[in-house]
Amino acid sequence: MFSDLLNKLNSDTTGSLQHHFGAELWLSVTIVVMLLFRLLSLDRFVPTFIVALVGAAAAGWAAFGQFSEIVAADGVAPLTFFGDMLRHDLFSVFFRIFLALFLILTIALTVLTGIPDNEDAPDFYSLLLGATIGMMIMASANNLLMLFLGVEMASVPSYAMVGFLKGRKPSSEAALKYVVYGAGAAGVMLYGISLVAGVLGTGDMSLMAERLSIVAESGSAGFGDPEVRTVALGVMLVMVGLAFKLSLVPFHFWCPDAFEGASAEVAGFLSVASKAGAFALLVRFCIGLSGVPATAELMTAFGIGLGAIACVTATFGNLAAYTQRNIKRLLAYSTIAHAGYMLMAVAALLVMINSGSAKALTHDINACIGGLLYYLAVYLFMNLGAFAVVALVRNYTFNEDVDSFKGLIGQSPALCITMLVCLFSLIGVPPFGGWVGKFMIFASVYKAAQLHWAMYVVLAVGGLNTVFSVFYYLRIIRAMVLEERPADAPSVKLPSMEGYYVCVLAGMVLLLGLAPGLVNGLTAIASKAGDSVMAVIGR
Amino acid sequence: MVGETLKFWLMIAWLLPLAGFAVEIFFGFYSKNPRGSKAAAWMAVACIGIGFLCSANALRIWGNANEWCVLESHDTHGEHAEGEDGHGEEAHEHKAADENSHDEHAVSATDHDAEKTGQTAYSGEIYRLATFGSLTIAMDYYIDSLTLVMFTMVTFIATCIHLFAIGYMSDELVDDYVDHFAHTADGKHVHRPGRFYRFFAFLSLFCFAMLGLVLAGNIFQVFIFWELVGICSFLLIGFYTERKSASNAANKAFIMNRIGDFGFLIGLMVLWTFFGTFRFGDTAQDNVVTEQGLFSMVHRDAESHDFMTDADGEVLITDPSGHVLKDEAGKARTIPYFLLVIAGLGVFAGCVGKSAQFPLQTWLPDAMEGPTPVSALVHSATMVAAGVYLAGRFFPMFAHEVLLTIAYTGCITLFIAATIAVVATDIKKVLAYSTISQLGYMMLGIGVFGWAAGLFHLITHAFFKSLMFLCSGSVIHGCHHEQEMPKMGGLLKKMPITALTMLIGVFAISGFPMLFGLHFSGFHSKDAIVASALAFVIANPIHYLLFVIPLLTAGITAFYMFRLWFFTFWGAPRDQHVHDHAHESPWIMAAPLVILAVPAWLCAYGGESGFLYGMLTGDEPAHLATGVTAAGKIVLPSHHEIHQVHGDAGVLALLAAFSGALIAYILYGTTLVNVEAMKKQMSIVHGFLTNKWHFDDLYDALFMRPAHKVAAFCAWIDKTIFDTILHGLAKAMIVIANWDRMFDEKFVDGFVNLVGDATQSVGSSLKVVQTGKLRQYVMFIVLGVVALFAVVFSTFPG
Repeated sequence: MFSDLLNKLNSDTTGSLQHHFGAELWLSVTIVVMLLFRLLSLDRFVPTFIVALVGAAAAGWAAFGQFSEIVAADGVAPLTFFGDMLRHDLFSVFFRIFLALFLILTIALTVLTGIPDNEDAPDFYSLLLGATIGMMIMASANNLLMLFLGVEMASVPSYAMVGFLKGRKPSSEAALKYVVYGAGAAGVMLYGISLVAGVLGTGDMSLMAERLSIVAESGSAGFGDPEVRTVALGVMLVMVGLAFKLSLVPFHFWCPDAFEGASAEVAGFLSVASKAGAFALLVRFCIGLSGVPATAELMTAFGIGLGAIACVTATFGNLAAYTQRNIKRLLAYSTIAHAGYMLMAVAALLVMINSGSAKALTHDINACIGGLLYYLAVYLFMNLGAFAVVALVRNYTFNEDVDSFKGLIGQSPALCITMLVCLFSLIGVPPFGGWVGKFMIFASVYKAAQLHWAMYVVLAVGGLNTVFSVFYYLRIIRAMVLEERPADAPSVKLPSMEGYYVCVLAGMVLLLGLAPGLVNGLTAIASKAGDSVMAVIGR
Repeated sequence: MVGETLKFWLMIAWLLPLAGFAVEIFFGFYSKNPRGSKAAAWMAVACIGIGFLCSANALRIWGNANEWCVLESHDTHGEHAEGEDGHGEEAHEHKAADENSHDEHAVSATDHDAEKTGQTAYSGEIYRLATFGSLTIAMDYYIDSLTLVMFTMVTFIATCIHLFAIGYMSDELVDDYVDHFAHTADGKHVHRPGRFYRFFAFLSLFCFAMLGLVLAGNIFQVFIFWELVGICSFLLIGFYTERKSASNAANKAFIMNRIGDFGFLIGLMVLWTFFGTFRFGDTAQDNVVTEQGLFSMVHRDAESHDFMTDADGEVLITDPSGHVLKDEAGKARTIPYFLLVIAGLGVFAGCVGKSAQFPLQTWLPDAMEGPTPVSALVHSATMVAAGVYLAGRFFPMFAHEVLLTIAYTGCITLFIAATIAVVATDIKKVLAYSTISQLGYMMLGIGVFGWAAGLFHLITHAFFKSLMFLCSGSVIHGCHHEQEMPKMGGLLKKMPITALTMLIGVFAISGFPMLFGLHFSGFHSKDAIVASALAFVIANPIHYLLFVIPLLTAGITAFYMFRLWFFTFWGAPRDQHVHDHAHESPWIMAAPLVILAVPAWLCAYGGESGFLYGMLTGDEPAHLATGVTAAGKIVLPSHHEIHQVHGDAGVLALLAAFSGALIAYILYGTTLVNVEAMKKQMSIVHGFLTNKWHFDDLYDALFMRPAHKVAAFCAWIDKTIFDTILHGLAKAMIVIANWDRMFDEKFVDGFVNLVGDATQSVGSSLKVVQTGKLRQYVMFIVLGVVALFAVVFSTFPG
């Protein structure tokens, strides 16, 4: 029997490696190559970032191959591999492309800003690529074990990256906090996993709902049932782990400290990539528990609970950002707020798929996941753009306070305009991409509100928060555009390459809001990805 | 096809100056030496020069297409033009032929018989601007022999004047131009950048507008270009805008033209209301009239040649073949006779303004504030003649009463202007009054049914008057901007070319004959007008003044022109300083004088059997040849009747001219008479004339002062009544605004601030939680989990 398992694993591995695991494989190979180069001192001849870029590009190319394969064979059934550990569908491919693209952009940014130096480069890029592999695994996890593995694989390199500025005390302190906090959260989550797996007798997430309905004594998964209560506790504990990754209130405490301590590049990476992976995981986890009449009531409640957390998170993030002086800290709170917005989409999703009319709502459900993915895609560009500007300005002013942005428009229009575009997009002003994403999420929440009144509250809070958020974003804009630059402030001169880089990001934010072809195309693909992830329930 | 070809060439000639204007005004400034570059000037010359070639080519094509039939049909005029007798049966025959050809013209588009002698008038649409119900506003063209002659004349003269202006305006080729006639508030001369390129840009724009006016195929389009030449005139008169006199003169010209245009607009309204179209000629496709023009809508009686009327005396509106048109109700369409008169008077009012006729003549002398080339081109040869041109173009629509008005207006104008010219001392002012006077002659010619004579004089006058203006420009240039004739004298030796070409002009305007039939052009044209007037007076003795005054004025004309010439070029220098510094002008200015002198002398060669007269009359309105003899109205003489008196009239006019010239010689060419003493003796008359018959004072008293009074009264009402009300309202508004502001600040802002402060303080308090202490954070995980647990299990029991 054990040999059977081995054989299956073997055939699975060799069969799947190339087709379904190509991107991750490329990144792994790149890590090995980089370390080998360091060992053989080849990195003096070939800068490490080039190896990293090539590796990231190869991963992206592999993921794109998978994407075109799936699109070409429209309707290929999603499949699992590695002994049902991982799931291969358009959803996971979408995230692979997303992460690969983001990886390339981040590497490019680090090259432009000069962090890390040559000596540290292999270490840094190994960590970066390793974290990315973890996030890709998070996006395709089909088993609670892989869930944990993915989260940890993404987290551990992140801890090291936060503390990468070794000489800086705040950096080390931030890393330490992050590690300890992460360890705590991981412990809780692991406990939750053990509870869930123990009661349900499987780690396979796609089977959870079915098992739950079997396990439940009465056949309907009410709280009266001790098994259900145990599972609910487990699910809640798993959620704590994910909430840590998503920096949801009240598990967000690490976020401002870690972002302030880490370099802006790392902060940008963490704010986007790890969040994307965590959302992919959350969606899979939630869908795994849904779709069975028995769990409908429980999961609707769960969804509304998520909505409540989303409201609290968004409100907290926005209000706390008001008084921040450090711009990275401000953006950290902004990140928390945006996690709140995105969580609203998940809440709406749960409410919709667990309603009686889920079948009729297929289109809306797909659009809901599509909206989330679209928001993530826009968020990639606008948040990275904002952090990139912070990093670039820091290189001249050695300061990351809002005050150091005063009068930036007269100094470096390209940086300033990019910042403007990104901030307006973060607010959600048309015609920028952030507006489209926010609109799609709010539209989904509105649809969900037709099923449960509580979502109206979520919608109202979401809208209100958009208004709240205007003030602190405008504070930066006011500093940049309206205020005089102090005479003694260091000047910001702009080498052309950096200008092009940020302009590309700003351009993408604009295009994602303005170019109908791009918006429609991405929306369609995101909806399709949503459809593919829903296949778990469609059985 | 010929029509298309003609349209093509004339369009080029018309639009090239516009292109030139655009380039000059926008890019004339951009060159290595912006203020010193003559590029703009040469571009303007090239545009108008090519325009001349195109026009001449079009004239040739037109002639070839109809085998110069208009010239042949007038062959028989030869004998009359020489002032001989011997007309008779022959003339009658010719008359019949003439009539035929003109009937063809009127319906040329449809009439297949027209093919025999060739079509001579072409009309159609260039570009449709807009359609409002039945009204179409379009750029049309109407090309007949008159159009072509005007085109060629305008482009030729304009080319010469452009060349002249290159020399004349060359002192503008500097970065810092000192205007000695303009002063700043502290009494210094005005310094400004040179405006050479701008001058030529304006000239190009003017050429475009003038050619558009001539080419126009409908009366509304005429109005558009009418205004466009008006604005060009305004810009050019006010070219030295820093000089108060120049900017005043520009305003005066523009405003007085508006008065005439007011009448013009009324005429347009009447026309459109009753005829429903603005276009002159018919538009035909494949010999079927698609859109009828004004000219074919009124038909003339076969016997009396007056307008066809119905029983009530209203004028019938017809289709091209003479059938009365019906309206929706089936009634015959008519226009009340008095409205047709009003329409004609309205259009003529426009002409009065533009051609500086009595009583709107006072703007033209003031317009001499513009640079002399402008005076030559705009205010003597072309724009002011546009009024005469329009009167000629619109002639078929004029009723008797209108014609009589035109005749008297012209008659009064020509006399008044000529008398003022006698005492004027500014060389350009003399020419200006002379221009007004000559325009009066043209109007008179048209009014007394000498249509061809009036337009004939238009062309000849354009040549010799532009020549004389250029000569005066040359004198002014040579004498360093001295315009007062009493300071000149004896310039013949200093500037011989100018003096001699000027003399040709003087001979021409005085209407002197010459040996071998090489008569000066004015001789033919003025004779023609005087002859028409005589024939008219013979037919209608009660209007005898229409002959006597022009005849008398012919003498005055010769007098003041010779006076000008003797004053300027003859005798001893009166101001030694001016004389010493005088010099002949450079070739670029002298050459145009010589070139222009040739047509000024000889353009009318052959008189009424010559090329020019033949071309002009080729498309003359049909009823001219026969005259109009409607019962109970003024008799309008036929060609035949005019020819009969041509000889007598010519002799009388010649006598007048010779005597005028002789008196001028005695007074100014010799020292026999003490002019100053004479002036003193006749000081009342002299004063009256130097004050221009007190017209400006009269208008001042009649219009300006009452207007000022009314304005002052209005201002008083404004200040005391309306302003009080407004101030009261404003004060009330301020009080209300203060209240509003208080409400805003106290309540609205207070509320908003409260909300803001609340969120801010919540934000600050949230900061408290973020202590940065690690143990606390981990503690929060536990607390969070427990709290969540409690919430979940308390909220969802069972």
